[in-house]
Amino acid sequence: MSDFARQQGAFQHGILTGDDTVLAEILDSPREKRETLFGVYRHAYGSRLVEAMRNDHELLHLYLGDEMFDEMGHAYVRARPSEHPNLRWFSQGLPDFLKSTEPYRDHPILSDLAALEKALNDAFDAAEGPVLALTDMAGFAPKLWNDLMFQPHPSARRLDLNTNAPAIWMALKNDETPPDAELLEEPARLLIWRQDVTPMFRELPTEEAMMWDEAANGIPFGVLCEMLATYDDPDGAAARGAGYLHGWISSGSLTGVSAGG
Amino acid sequence: MNVASRLPETSAPALADRPTTSAKPPFLGFGLGLRAQHYDEILSGNPPIDWFEIISENYTLPGGQPLRTLDRICERYPVVMHGVSLSIASTAPPNFEYLQGLKDLAKRVEPKWVSDHLCWTGVHGKNLHDLLPIPYTEEALDHVVGRVQLVQDFLGRAIVLENVSTYVQFNNSEMTEWEFLAELSRRSGCWLLFDVNNVYVSAFNHGYDPLTFLNGIPPDRVVQFHMAGHSHMGTHIIDTHDHPVCEDVWDLYVAALKRFGRVSTMIERDDNIPPLDELLLEVNRTRAIAEQVLPGKLAG
Repeated sequence: MSDFARQQGAFQHGILTGDDTVLAEILDSPREKRETLFGVYRHAYGSRLVEAMRNDHELLHLYLGDEMFDEMGHAYVRARPSEHPNLRWFSQGLPDFLKSTEPYRDHPILSDLAALEKALNDAFDAAEGPVLALTDMAGFAPKLWNDLMFQPHPSARRLDLNTNAPAIWMALKNDETPPDAELLEEPARLLIWRQDVTPMFRELPTEEAMMWDEAANGIPFGVLCEMLATYDDPDGAAARGAGYLHGWISSGSLTGVSAGG
Repeated sequence: MNVASRLPETSAPALADRPTTSAKPPFLGFGLGLRAQHYDEILSGNPPIDWFEIISENYTLPGGQPLRTLDRICERYPVVMHGVSLSIASTAPPNFEYLQGLKDLAKRVEPKWVSDHLCWTGVHGKNLHDLLPIPYTEEALDHVVGRVQLVQDFLGRAIVLENVSTYVQFNNSEMTEWEFLAELSRRSGCWLLFDVNNVYVSAFNHGYDPLTFLNGIPPDRVVQFHMAGHSHMGTHIIDTHDHPVCEDVWDLYVAALKRFGRVSTMIERDDNIPPLDELLLEVNRTRAIAEQVLPGKLAG
């Protein structure tokens, strides 16, 4: 290893761990001791990353308040140092960290709120794709409909949450007092996507969530309707399927349709 | 991706002094760092700004509003790309995925040039997201010259490197920062972004005259000035980019204009971002001072 490489390793180690060994290679300035000057880098490291987390998780920050958010943020910085050159991706692991780390894992609302914000952030700058319009459907003869397969917009994702994080998110967003956190008996099944440039989410009924998931897996419309028939009134399954599909297209969450086979 | 197959030739002869031959980037006038807070005002008002500098990493994204907005701004203004994660002085292996992202963005933006900083941001697979200092040694110089050549070969263009604000100096340095920069530019062919504020900050922190730094930089290698604000801590200055440009830095700007002549200049604000009008006043001041120092020499 070159001396330059060794020195960089020691410098980084000093920032990440508080180890002072590298100070032996650093000069005092005319006005200040090296400990203080090196401390500028140490302080900047944690505060810059926590600031990035505040930007990515505005509502979790609002929910926890400055002190608790920053304490949590610094714990995340220590546990999961950044490995990506773009700060945009630094807090991607936050929902998982909150789900698996004491004391945060005892409050599942935190990982759910983080997961919802992450999903919205991901939708915000997700890849572009065509947006399927209702008029695009006019070209398909009724006899082809059973074979139609749908492609979600690149920004569209499903997310299941076990707490009332969506209600808390909504209250925080509207500057209202959030409800108490609670575990749900049935998960909230969310669809997240970008409408023009705005990230959106909405909660899906259980059977619509199932239909979306299977549609995203390439299951054709006819089979989707057969599956819907097992959830509720079989006679109304096709109409319900068409209704859900209409909603997806109207909201811009699909990018394409093709007649399979 | 087969990284090995994409590695440019890095044998010893290839790493010998081998400046990339490329025309000096054009004089663009007086610009501003593009920030999301000003998107709407820029697109609706077409403010009188000669050019914009973007933070490259803000747009190396799959899609969405940032890239769509950037496309519209590129239709109206010259743009240059300024990165913070090239980590050109790192001893870690080069990150070709990052470089490919930069190259793809450059293809989209068609920037007048691509810049980053003379610094490193991490080793051993970690990124500290800071502009970390280097010792000014022959070993470091050889290493950075090789890296600049590799990056220039990969991107297919000469890059521009900026002097960073530093808070510490290493006891094994063998030359000054300005000697290092001059030699790096001469040997690698990279151009220089002279950050007037950073020179002021580092000079104060390390106790030398900023004019000594300024006079040590070869005038024909400088293609851009940065002007920014900082936070004074009494015994040292921190480069926070969250204040207006201070009077001492304006004075140093005058000296820089006298030495380097007309150079594309911009106001760089990264935090505590004020309304666009306020920054326009600073942009206009960079222009007014240049007209005063270099009468009749800005046109053309």
